Amino acid sequence: MKIIGRKDQEVESSLRSAGLGLTVSEARSIAEVLGRDPTVPELFNYDTMWSEHCSYKSSRATLNEFLHTSGPNVVQGPEEDAGIVAIDDEWCVVIAHESHNHPSQILPNEGAATGIGGIVRDVNCMGAKVVATADPLRFGDPFGEDKNHVRWVAEGVVDGIWQYGNALGVPIIAGDVVFDESFDTNCLVNVVAIGVVKRGEIIKSRAPAGAGEKGYDVIVVGKPTDSSGFGGVTFASEELREEDEEANRGAIQIPDPFLKNVLFKANEALFKLTREEGITIGFKDLGGGGFTCASSEMGASAGYGMDLDLDHLHKASEDLPPEVVACAETQERFMLICPPELTPRALKIYNEDWDLPNVYEGARASVVGKVTTNGRYITRYKGEVTCDVSIEHLTRGIRYSREERPRKISLTEPDIVAPEDLTELLLKVLASPNVSSREHIYRYYDTEVQGNSVIRPGEADAGLIAPVRGEKFGIALSVDSNPFYGRISPYWAGATAVAEAMRNVAAIGAYPATLTDCLNFGNPEKPEAFWEFRECVRGLADAAKALWLKGYEDTPVPIVSGNVSFYNESPEGTVDPSPIIACVGLIDDVRNAVTMNLKKAGNAIYLVGPRFDELGGSEYYRTAYGVTGANAPKVRFDLERSMIYATIDSIAEKLVVSAHDISNGGLGATAAEMALVGKGDLGMELALDSASTEDLSADRLIFSESSGFLLECEGGAEVELEKLLKGYCLAIMKLGKVTGSPEIVMTHQGKKVVQMDLETAKKAWTGGLVEAMR
Amino acid sequence: MKIAVVQFPGTNCEHETLVAARSAGLSGEIFRWNRPAEELSDFDGYIIPGGFSYQDRLRAGAIASKEPVMESLREEAADGKPIIGICNGFQILVESGLLPGLGGVDVALAQNVMVSKGEIVRRGFYCAWTTLRHEAPPERCSGSFLLKKGDLVRMPLAHAEGNLVTVDEDLMERLNEENQVIFRYCDEGGWVEDEFPVNVNGSLESIAAICNPEGNVLGMMPHPERSSFAWQLPPTDPGKSAGDMGSPGPGRRIFESMKRYIEVRR
Repeated sequence: MKIIGRKDQEVESSLRSAGLGLTVSEARSIAEVLGRDPTVPELFNYDTMWSEHCSYKSSRATLNEFLHTSGPNVVQGPEEDAGIVAIDDEWCVVIAHESHNHPSQILPNEGAATGIGGIVRDVNCMGAKVVATADPLRFGDPFGEDKNHVRWVAEGVVDGIWQYGNALGVPIIAGDVVFDESFDTNCLVNVVAIGVVKRGEIIKSRAPAGAGEKGYDVIVVGKPTDSSGFGGVTFASEELREEDEEANRGAIQIPDPFLKNVLFKANEALFKLTREEGITIGFKDLGGGGFTCASSEMGASAGYGMDLDLDHLHKASEDLPPEVVACAETQERFMLICPPELTPRALKIYNEDWDLPNVYEGARASVVGKVTTNGRYITRYKGEVTCDVSIEHLTRGIRYSREERPRKISLTEPDIVAPEDLTELLLKVLASPNVSSREHIYRYYDTEVQGNSVIRPGEADAGLIAPVRGEKFGIALSVDSNPFYGRISPYWAGATAVAEAMRNVAAIGAYPATLTDCLNFGNPEKPEAFWEFRECVRGLADAAKALWLKGYEDTPVPIVSGNVSFYNESPEGTVDPSPIIACVGLIDDVRNAVTMNLKKAGNAIYLVGPRFDELGGSEYYRTAYGVTGANAPKVRFDLERSMIYATIDSIAEKLVVSAHDISNGGLGATAAEMALVGKGDLGMELALDSASTEDLSADRLIFSESSGFLLECEGGAEVELEKLLKGYCLAIMKLGKVTGSPEIVMTHQGKKVVQMDLETAKKAWTGGLVEAMR
Repeated sequence: MKIAVVQFPGTNCEHETLVAARSAGLSGEIFRWNRPAEELSDFDGYIIPGGFSYQDRLRAGAIASKEPVMESLREEAADGKPIIGICNGFQILVESGLLPGLGGVDVALAQNVMVSKGEIVRRGFYCAWTTLRHEAPPERCSGSFLLKKGDLVRMPLAHAEGNLVTVDEDLMERLNEENQVIFRYCDEGGWVEDEFPVNVNGSLESIAAICNPEGNVLGMMPHPERSSFAWQLPPTDPGKSAGDMGSPGPGRRIFESMKRYIEVRR
């Protein structure tokens, strides 16, 4: 493409008509480094590698400035496809977290399915067995102007997730769903996957040492490359516009869990062979950026070049242009780099033992080139050199320092007078699509496959699996982020998301071992959006730092993986700032974990975490009065840390038999849920007078979303539990007890403020989400 | 006693099924579909585990039922060796005619339809714990050899097509008379009710499992391998925290039955 010597607007128009997202100055800088006009395939390679999605060009500096990615338990930080932390001396947990927002808005089923498909590859390619996934979802208002479209998106996304995850055979053990009108035209579909691997068996996503000198083979395995997903990363790095919908649809990949299932088993056979023979390989998934991204990163990260022949790559059609072959995001593919002596056996595993060509038309493993020492990224196609550039220049990407400007937020606190009897309001909050039971969704998910599930969705604040037979340890997983807090204060949205995700795993007795962040924002070229991004990152980093890793004072909980998704914006508006956090918790013995259902009449109920007047963004404000408010919940770092570790300790010492964290819907919803997830024969009687040190009205005590827990104390263990709480300098707030009658009763200043029978509550609570997704 | 856990492309429960079988004292291995089928005769029994064999193309189980390994299994079944099909394995056995074993493809496992008070309240995939009531006398069937009539067994199910249907009006009578109905869905107290959520998928007469006339071939939609250890139970079950990590869950009875069946047959 002619760039040198042409005017800006001529270059601009050539770039656009070729379908490239590169700016004119980016294109000129490429031509300058090459010393000639780049070829079209070269420009597409740069376009891919320099996209926001692959290069983090807007976000990198901020992430480096704030996030703590190392720690005493970190085996691998965010430098590869997935992060890794140690469970014990032998086993590690691998975690990856990504977004698939843009594709899911356009084609919900395929978009969400390929989201799951991509994230499990990221974990598997580290040599790990994928043992669980989680799916944080954000949809628009199911009762608003766009309700039909919103429900179409929501249903398609849920279908895509279960159809892929169930068929693949990986249980979905956690997730959350929030409906908020800011997602009307931009849904968020985040996906988290975790795996287990032995420390000595981790496989790197890079060419092994010596690969260039010894001319290691580069092999692509899986589905034949087609044009699907071409332009995917570029499309994910722009705002969504309705008139582009047709073109964008072509940028969405096509899922195939069946082929993935077979590929995973073949991969396992390959990993086993290399371990037995002590051969080091490089292995990476082909995801965003396709062949170009995987091959150039695998070479560059080891300091090598690549010489690749696209004619040897198995393709669905022989007439694809070179840039499509290189940059399409065809799913269900991996790249293997191995010594030539392993190649015949590797090919046999895929092409004969697991019979890929007969399992899926055109699927196989093909040798496509060699690792070199010359530092060049060379591709050949139909007798021509289609790309010959510096691999380091291609993969280094570019950095932008974006401008930030605080968004003017003009929200105020409402002036409200609540009725004396709050039962009806509590029922209304329980029926809200954001508080109600998630059962309608999770019954579609195979939460049991692999047979490792100990705690499933709906049973506690986090899911728990025992992923290695013969071992007692468990891995807990939770996700969290509240967009309504983000609307008020991006900083506190980041901090509360970290705190709540950690509380979620603490509530079952697991300690938070690592966090991941998937940061979903609007257009970073707009200073307000970029400010929101920075504030969220600052908030979540502060919380991770202040809440400490268990057993290590002043040591942050490490953030080992994550993803930034910008451009979640359309002409109708931008999404509420959504820093979605996943937390991996660990517990030594899964049999010591507790769930949230009430256990026994007569047991005392303790509140940990006093109520504050901070109902901004609360479900109560929105449901009862239709307002957002201005006082978002804050994280009081020292108090929060004490609450989390006191809860973990009290469960470990068997003083607490059920626990539930306080979040959406406040203490009222938390208490109701503890009764509703059981058999319906146990209720609760609570006096709210001691729930705050401030003089709060009953409605604020019940609905404030200040962080905290409700704990059910084992009969006779009150003295010991109080001693433990005091040891953490926590106030003793014994609110009442579990009763044998099926109702929730709450009193305040001697008056009954809530009397709610569980049957009515169950109807409201189980019906809310069904109604929203009908 | 060595069993083969037969693996098709798309199977996804083979590992936990083998673990569960081993926990009951069986030995065995996973048997890939493209191995020489005649090697199957070396085994004493067979389990076809759950999953999505061949992506459920055409119909769940339809393609796998035409594989050469199924021809070999048909011969082994005729020899009286036990075969247990779980979930997709049940679907494969139905598609191959091994169940109910009356000479043709006499039943189908159709899409789930959840009906309550005369209304369809849900369709399609559903994952939940359920209770099964054993409907046959002891020693009627390989996979429930050790169970008495009326015994209750808890285990999870997870499928989109488990709704047993037939067009043959006399078939149900025959299955009942011949004690080929092995499990029905029931509530925790053992009560069978033809209403969701007790009848969880709309199956005729709440049927969850059937066997062939000889009793050596069993097909069941729920997953005993996901209920073979006490810690796998739901939190409201008092058995959950009992014992060590090896303590049995109720589903292990299925594999123990298979083992006993093999012992008795020898």
